[in-house]
Amino acid sequence: MAATVIAQGITIEGDLTADDEVVVQGTLRGKLSSRDRVSIDAGALVEADVTGASLSIGGQVTGNVTASDRVDLVAGGKLVGDVKAARLTIADGASFKGNVDMDV
Amino acid sequence: MAKPTSRADSSTASAATEAVLGRGAALRGRVQGHGNVRVEGKLEGDVAIDGCFAVAQGGEVVADVQAGSLDVDGALEGDVTVSGAVVVRAGARVVGVVRGATVSVEEGASFSGRIEAEFDMPPELGGKAAR
Repeated sequence: MAATVIAQGITIEGDLTADDEVVVQGTLRGKLSSRDRVSIDAGALVEADVTGASLSIGGQVTGNVTASDRVDLVAGGKLVGDVKAARLTIADGASFKGNVDMDV
Repeated sequence: MAKPTSRADSSTASAATEAVLGRGAALRGRVQGHGNVRVEGKLEGDVAIDGCFAVAQGGEVVADVQAGSLDVDGALEGDVTVSGAVVVRAGARVVGVVRGATVSVEEGASFSGRIEAEFDMPPELGGKAAR
């Protein structure tokens, strides 16, 4: 069980910061940052810049994403925005538009 | 088997998918939508949901709250309007105006503000007929 869950049906507009894992199943507009893992599940809608240790994107994200470890764009995920992470995977069936900065 | 009434559906769905703002999490902004929300961290802003809004022990909320019901065991400051029951538990610190259908305050809670509980006046006092 994740520490913070934005459940389906819930909309958050604002600035969310967390020390622990964050799971988004609903809607988030604004800014999201966590020191831990961030999961954006299928069905979620995120219009925000997202920062985390590792990011898994299965929903729809519009905004720039930054991860200290990795970003995984899983099947069904949709990302419009720039990625800054040392490691990035884009699964078959995911869509992505933006720039990638792997900090080389 | 069970009658698939939308009411039952929404209550089971919201019970299964409770939104949680965990310990160590802080939110500045607006929370709205369907279902229940539990705050263990910090929330500053505005809340408008149709389910239960709970402030757990250690949770700190400074917000105007509109919800289906309210359960406070942490700190809550703001105007609260609830269509159902309000429970202020022993560990709670509440500052503000609380409106609800029923309001209960446990021993040990600290409350500073106003409680407005809706109830029908008995007919002999000239109010609406009791339910």
